[in-house]
Amino acid sequence: MTGNATTLQRLRTMLLPILLIAELIVFSLLSPRFLSGDNFANIAVNAADLALVAAGMTLVILLGGIDVSAGFAVGVSAWFVATLMGSATPAWAVVLLSVTVGLALGALNGALVAAFRVPAIIATLGTAAIFQTLLFALWNRTDVFSAPVASILSGQRVLGVPQVLLVVAVVYAVLHWVLTRRPFGRDLFAIGSNPDAARLAGIRTTRVTFAAYGILGGLVGLAATIYVGRVGVVQASSGNELTLLAIASVVVGGTSILGGEGSILRTLGGLAFIVILQNGIVLAGVPPLWNGLMIGLTIIIAVSVDILATRSTTRETQGSVA
Amino acid sequence: MNRTKTVTPVLPTAGRAGSPQPRRRLPGADHAWASRLLNDRNALLLGLILLAGFVMSLLSPYFLRVDNLLAMTQYGAVLGLLALGQTLVILGGGGGIDLSVGSTMSLSGVVFGLTAVSLGLDPWIAVLVAVVAGVLLGAVNGLLVTVVGVPPLIATLGTLYLYASAALVLAGGVDINGFDRSGFAQLGQSAIAGIPTQVLLILLPAYGVLAFVMHRSRFGREVYQVGSNQLAASLTGVRVARVRTSLYCISGGLAGLASVVMASWLLNAKPTAGTGMELQAITIAVLGGTAITGGVGRVSGTFLALTLVVVLNSGLQLAGVSNTWQIGLLGAVLIASILLQHLLGRARR
Repeated sequence: MTGNATTLQRLRTMLLPILLIAELIVFSLLSPRFLSGDNFANIAVNAADLALVAAGMTLVILLGGIDVSAGFAVGVSAWFVATLMGSATPAWAVVLLSVTVGLALGALNGALVAAFRVPAIIATLGTAAIFQTLLFALWNRTDVFSAPVASILSGQRVLGVPQVLLVVAVVYAVLHWVLTRRPFGRDLFAIGSNPDAARLAGIRTTRVTFAAYGILGGLVGLAATIYVGRVGVVQASSGNELTLLAIASVVVGGTSILGGEGSILRTLGGLAFIVILQNGIVLAGVPPLWNGLMIGLTIIIAVSVDILATRSTTRETQGSVA
Repeated sequence: MNRTKTVTPVLPTAGRAGSPQPRRRLPGADHAWASRLLNDRNALLLGLILLAGFVMSLLSPYFLRVDNLLAMTQYGAVLGLLALGQTLVILGGGGGIDLSVGSTMSLSGVVFGLTAVSLGLDPWIAVLVAVVAGVLLGAVNGLLVTVVGVPPLIATLGTLYLYASAALVLAGGVDINGFDRSGFAQLGQSAIAGIPTQVLLILLPAYGVLAFVMHRSRFGREVYQVGSNQLAASLTGVRVARVRTSLYCISGGLAGLASVVMASWLLNAKPTAGTGMELQAITIAVLGGTAITGGVGRVSGTFLALTLVVVLNSGLQLAGVSNTWQIGLLGAVLIASILLQHLLGRARR
């Protein structure tokens, strides 16, 4: 019984790596251009801003929340970035301001969810609409074109490795350390598992929740500085496409949407799966209209398998205890 | 790592099902204030509608003209069907929400268009096909939620992607038209006794049936039981999974119906017809007093909230305010209505 349970548990943790390898094999057979250092550098550059948003999203989902406004928040921050770049502002000031804008937008979500106890999905659906309108008003029928903010925030390569990967690596390393080694990380897991128990245990749930949305906001601001360099232009709906992709990366990685279970490294795995899928199907010659179909199916299948596996493992362990 | 992995699968559900809400409303105990609040809410909405109507008629001399009032309700018919479905899904509790209604509408609309144009069937038969398609798409949501156990937010987020993209793929990325036969345009473009046909023959009957079912039938009672206390409901013999699956099917079917109404109104089946409609549908349901935690709310509240949103939108349109501003206003209204709910709830306790 117990042996059976651990096998299933192991299968569950091995599922994503197996899927990733299968994906790599399939796409290298389908397209000769897929398996090359150049293509992978390309994938990484295109995924850098998404990676930062997904990292922040992981924190929010770990505590049982969600943020569907993150994409438009990237758009709003990116508008400020592109506009400031047009007026020859130094790069450090642009980054600082973009992060500040992101923080402010994240703080609004944090205040609604943590202080006013608005359910996260409702609060962020509302702010998503508000940010969309804000971006529309700022944009005012004028596309803002911009060069990359700095070479470290762009796809420029050193020895074939895109510089922007350094930023992503630092963010993931720091967040991994915080989640696994710091009290703040433990608090996030505790709140995600059982908010009432966490509060009774003396965790300042309001403060921790607010901070998680704030951190996501800050990362959104940082992502916007990369987004501008990657896309080169800010329009009325810029950034919107990142929202669902970020949430998908987190849940496909295996972090529980109910909160309390997961890790930032899993998000990295889920992200890799999704961006390689997007790149691979384009190289394999599938029309881009199919993109959403693939991602929707991936979310549903990955989450379903995860839930079914979890359910049978808990049933097994409960059975062996009883 | 290991700690969280082994402990958590049991905890979240236990914590969620048992934590804040039973403390607030145990069965029977504060039922009186809950119903009073609901009555107050409908009165409040009615007051807001009158106020909004008054302000809009000052802003634009066209607001109270018959043709404008007609156009307003035409737009409201589509939105209303989606909002009614959303209300039911949320009432069913368990984190119930249907983010895919907009995409379901798009995909059913494409199915309608293809049936009527590519297959060349009579548009009225295509209407049935589209509604059935909507029910099936809703059933997929329902089964993912109840049988597989995927949280509704993620299940319907996945199908939001899936259905929207399937609509585009099926339609080849272009609008479908050419189904104006057998008087199909009558549904969306005519009026009977001054009331647009789709309101008189689709929206109002749908509302009437749902109001009856929710407040006078056994199924309706079961929905409220499941929504307010899943465990108690299942102990009294209510089949929780079946009730919830039905709710997603109803929501899908109403989205299918909405797609047909939209198609006959615009004489065009757009593969992106429903994009963003989920936000409006959820906003209207919540604004109408449906508690996002389930079990509390009435379809009459949704109907009044629909009226309010339609009045606001059309007034802003007449005042020349762009569509995107209306989206932002809707977002603000959504948040404000939840804050208000909390304040009222606190004041009454």
